[in-house]
Amino acid sequence: MIWACADSYEEEYSVFTPEYFVNKQYSPFFYTGNEVYYGLGYTDGSNTWYNDIIVDEWYDHFNHQFSKTSLQYLLIKASAGAVDSISRKSAGALKVLPAKYPVMSTGTVSAKMLKAFYSYLKLAKISEAYSVNDQYYSWDKVKPNHSPVKLASTLIGAFDAETDPFIKERLWFQAVRYYYFLDNSSSATTVSLFNQFKDHFPKNLIYYRTMGYVAGYYYRQKNYALSNYLYSLCYDYTYKLKIPSFWSFHPQNESDWNATLRLAKTPEEKITLWHMMGVQYDAARAIKTIAAINPKSEKLDLLLSRLINIREATTGGGKPADSVIKSDNDGKRLVENIALKNNTAKPYYWNLAAGYLNFLDSNYTAAGKFYATAKNQFPAGDKMIVAQGKLLDLMLYIKNLKKMDATAEAKLTEPLNWLANLRDSKIKIKDLRFDNAISVCNLAISRLYKKQGNPIREVCFNNNAQDFYADSTRVQHMIDLLNKPDKTAFEQTMLRYYPITLNNLYYHRAITLVYQQKLPEAIAQLKKMKPEDFVLAGNPFTGRLVDCHDCDHAAPQKQKYTPLSFLQTLNTLNTEIKQGKNVYSNAYAIANAYYNITYYGNARLFYESDAVATGPTGRYYYEGEQRMDDKLTSMQIAMKYYQLARKNATTDEQRARCTFMLSKCALNEIYNDPNFKGADKFADIKASQPVTDAYYKYFAQLKEKYNNTAYYKEALKECGYFRLYADKK
Amino acid sequence: MLKYFRWFIILVLLLPTASCRKTGNATTAFYYWKTSFNLNQQQTALLKQTGNNAYIRFFDVSWNDKEQRSYPNAVVQLNALPAGFNITPVIYITNKTFENTADTAVTNLAEHCNKLINELAAERKINYTKVQIDCDWSLSTRLKYFSFLTAFKNLNHKQLEATIRLHQVKFKDRTGVPPADRGVLMFYNMGKLNAELQQPNSIYNSNDADKYIAYLGSYPLKLDIALPLFSWAIHIREGRVIQVYGKIGRRQLSDQAHFEPIEGQANYRAKTSFFLDGIYIKQNDIFKLEETDSNTLNAAAQQLTQHLPKQKHTTIIYYELANIDLSKFNQETLTQISARF
Repeated sequence: MIWACADSYEEEYSVFTPEYFVNKQYSPFFYTGNEVYYGLGYTDGSNTWYNDIIVDEWYDHFNHQFSKTSLQYLLIKASAGAVDSISRKSAGALKVLPAKYPVMSTGTVSAKMLKAFYSYLKLAKISEAYSVNDQYYSWDKVKPNHSPVKLASTLIGAFDAETDPFIKERLWFQAVRYYYFLDNSSSATTVSLFNQFKDHFPKNLIYYRTMGYVAGYYYRQKNYALSNYLYSLCYDYTYKLKIPSFWSFHPQNESDWNATLRLAKTPEEKITLWHMMGVQYDAARAIKTIAAINPKSEKLDLLLSRLINIREATTGGGKPADSVIKSDNDGKRLVENIALKNNTAKPYYWNLAAGYLNFLDSNYTAAGKFYATAKNQFPAGDKMIVAQGKLLDLMLYIKNLKKMDATAEAKLTEPLNWLANLRDSKIKIKDLRFDNAISVCNLAISRLYKKQGNPIREVCFNNNAQDFYADSTRVQHMIDLLNKPDKTAFEQTMLRYYPITLNNLYYHRAITLVYQQKLPEAIAQLKKMKPEDFVLAGNPFTGRLVDCHDCDHAAPQKQKYTPLSFLQTLNTLNTEIKQGKNVYSNAYAIANAYYNITYYGNARLFYESDAVATGPTGRYYYEGEQRMDDKLTSMQIAMKYYQLARKNATTDEQRARCTFMLSKCALNEIYNDPNFKGADKFADIKASQPVTDAYYKYFAQLKEKYNNTAYYKEALKECGYFRLYADKK
Repeated sequence: MLKYFRWFIILVLLLPTASCRKTGNATTAFYYWKTSFNLNQQQTALLKQTGNNAYIRFFDVSWNDKEQRSYPNAVVQLNALPAGFNITPVIYITNKTFENTADTAVTNLAEHCNKLINELAAERKINYTKVQIDCDWSLSTRLKYFSFLTAFKNLNHKQLEATIRLHQVKFKDRTGVPPADRGVLMFYNMGKLNAELQQPNSIYNSNDADKYIAYLGSYPLKLDIALPLFSWAIHIREGRVIQVYGKIGRRQLSDQAHFEPIEGQANYRAKTSFFLDGIYIKQNDIFKLEETDSNTLNAAAQQLTQHLPKQKHTTIIYYELANIDLSKFNQETLTQISARF
């Protein structure tokens, strides 16, 4: 889950892929916006971090005779009790192993080796009680994680007696760790025990893990200089130690940081220190120092990638600055200088970086020069770096364009298709961060078309211009383009970036015509669609005293309406009105229908379509937010028909009902009022006076003229606003 | 007759401002927010001189995303607890905890909290008479938080206090009033932390407080008051706030080898890149110092007393004792400020 999040997140700001330039073992430290370790998330698994290696080491120790499954069980899962039973069974002290324990498959491993292993394992399990912190997230009482005083002699005794160097080194590790956990301040024996035997063992993982506890001891003693130096040795030893050591590396003040640097015995050690410091705090300063020591150091790679990715993140990724930046932002000059010296291990990396940093600062000429140099240095056959270069080139080419003309279109057809293929997963280039390039390129192209007065192409590359769909001629031009049989290569490419389909456009045309009350024309547009009809959730001809979309959607419907059958029925009712047939009931039904196909009605599905980019789905009236498209909220047509119905009503009950419906529409017009701020969390409800007056006018009519009707009583019961009004006066 | 009556009205109107508020009845208390409870001599003395009232944060309740459950975080270690203190346990619950806790699990959470408070208290033989819960609840967590408070009270039975933020006073109809015996108005952190160099102090400034304070009179809970003793420095890089530090103050920022004052009230620019007390500072980083001193507290007290409704007794809790700057605040200044209530 975390992985998926991480992947999509980097794409939001980055078009520069660190994977192509930096050794994989540094990948947890690639710059990431939202997680602690790139690709790993939080790695809350410090208790399990070494599990696989521990099993492998023992597996090798037993010459692959002890089965891996058995080792996994014993080393990782088994309790102290389980180890005890299995050990006694192995020694013959226990005849039958309790059924809850698995049978160990130990192959040809000698009894002596088994005995030594089990003895060690028993001690190791006891040591886990204080060294493995697995309870700090629990409501149960937090156990103290100090090691018990009594255990010292047992551990030291076992260590002294042990003859197998493999096990002896592990007992050494256990003993040093024991003293680290002895109390709050740790015992100095942590250090003396480490120093006394450090030359007796190979410098392997367990050696450096032991050293890690010594570093921790010094940290607690506030000897930050030495602590950080030791952590840097651990960091440098192996991938597995990088995260834990990096996590603990914390210079406090310049004095201890300088003292740490003085402890470095070789230039390489000094580089590691600067590298760790740079990753965490200041990539540019570290790059400068390391490049002076050894410009070919691979420890520069990670720093450069972080410098770039951080720079990208601050401007929202791949989006060049609005105006040319001349100052040295975040080490750009530094990167340029190193690239120009041409003495690094990966000159193409430095040139691409210098080019891209210039691109981000809108220095396109400089960017182009560095890219050109880089291209000549690309390692042969490296498709990924070529792809990275192509992506950067494409963005630069587009941002440099002054005009979209035939030359530009011809030149862009291939790379834009390539980008669309990446997007559609028709081609795959591992890890390439291209998403952001799509938006950078599309936006730049659409701006050029806008400048050139070509709204069709502008919208193809950036379907964000809402007015576009309000203009039926433009929509028709777009329909024509989509229907055009002999599209040019560029048009075909361009349309791959246009998200709207012909069906969407026909539907959009139809809906627009409905709100213009041009029903036959709307029906004609709908009929052009490929069959893609859907059923409306509720009966659009229903009206109720208090709106309840869910009730309408749940109510049994004799006839289910699709947009087409709905419009056809609406048209029939309208024709009947013109013929003077059932005017009251037809007008009332049409009024309900026009009410329901607004934001306030039960048929929002009717107008929700892909063509209107900022469709009103899920929109609310928060202050400061853009208001919705008026036609989707306006009550004018519904009111027109409610009034027609009231005029043709034959009973007061009917008139009361129509009047109440009109008040409902008037209330919605309050919400539609530009001055309305009522739904802002804390403000008072306010709207323009005429709009408010119109609303109360209908309440007044109800109270004066229809207070004898059953509908009036029902309205009193159901509608709180009305009750308040009626009670007040 | 009418003439006299008019005078009578004026008198009645004048009375509340002139003489109704009886001052000097307030209790002085301190928060203690650090995980390890350790007072130095001066802190102990200050606590004694001001009446021995400590509101000690016992633990936080946070949410563990990975395991999808709440857990007690940073449980206090009551190492050297001097005798004779009136200790009130405080727990801070993150709003995220309520965002994620199921409705059905709220009572269980209350049980956990009650149990842990009682265990910690029993261990140190603390007889407490009230508990304070601190949670910056939101509209979406309001119901869960309130039912937590009710459940907690049913289990704990002691006086229950809940912290109240200023906006929760003003918008009480929306945010709701917690079902507690008393509220504690947090009269600090009222402005927004930002990188704007001319922006007034975000810890306390009367203009921001003014937007809310008129609503105090109509708040249904009796309110005690929490006042700030802290200062902090806002670390700004390239126009963005990157961190806030309590441990960086005027002393560090006056170091001319590393900082220079720039425009604004108390703003400093780093002259070079360097480590300082575990913080890495880059050249051109900016530190905006926001301080609290006795003048701030006097202004805050003055503003509050104009609007707080009359009540028999108020506790003024100062935030907080572990990091108090004793060169700025002593027994005299603090009791004087408390006496204004």
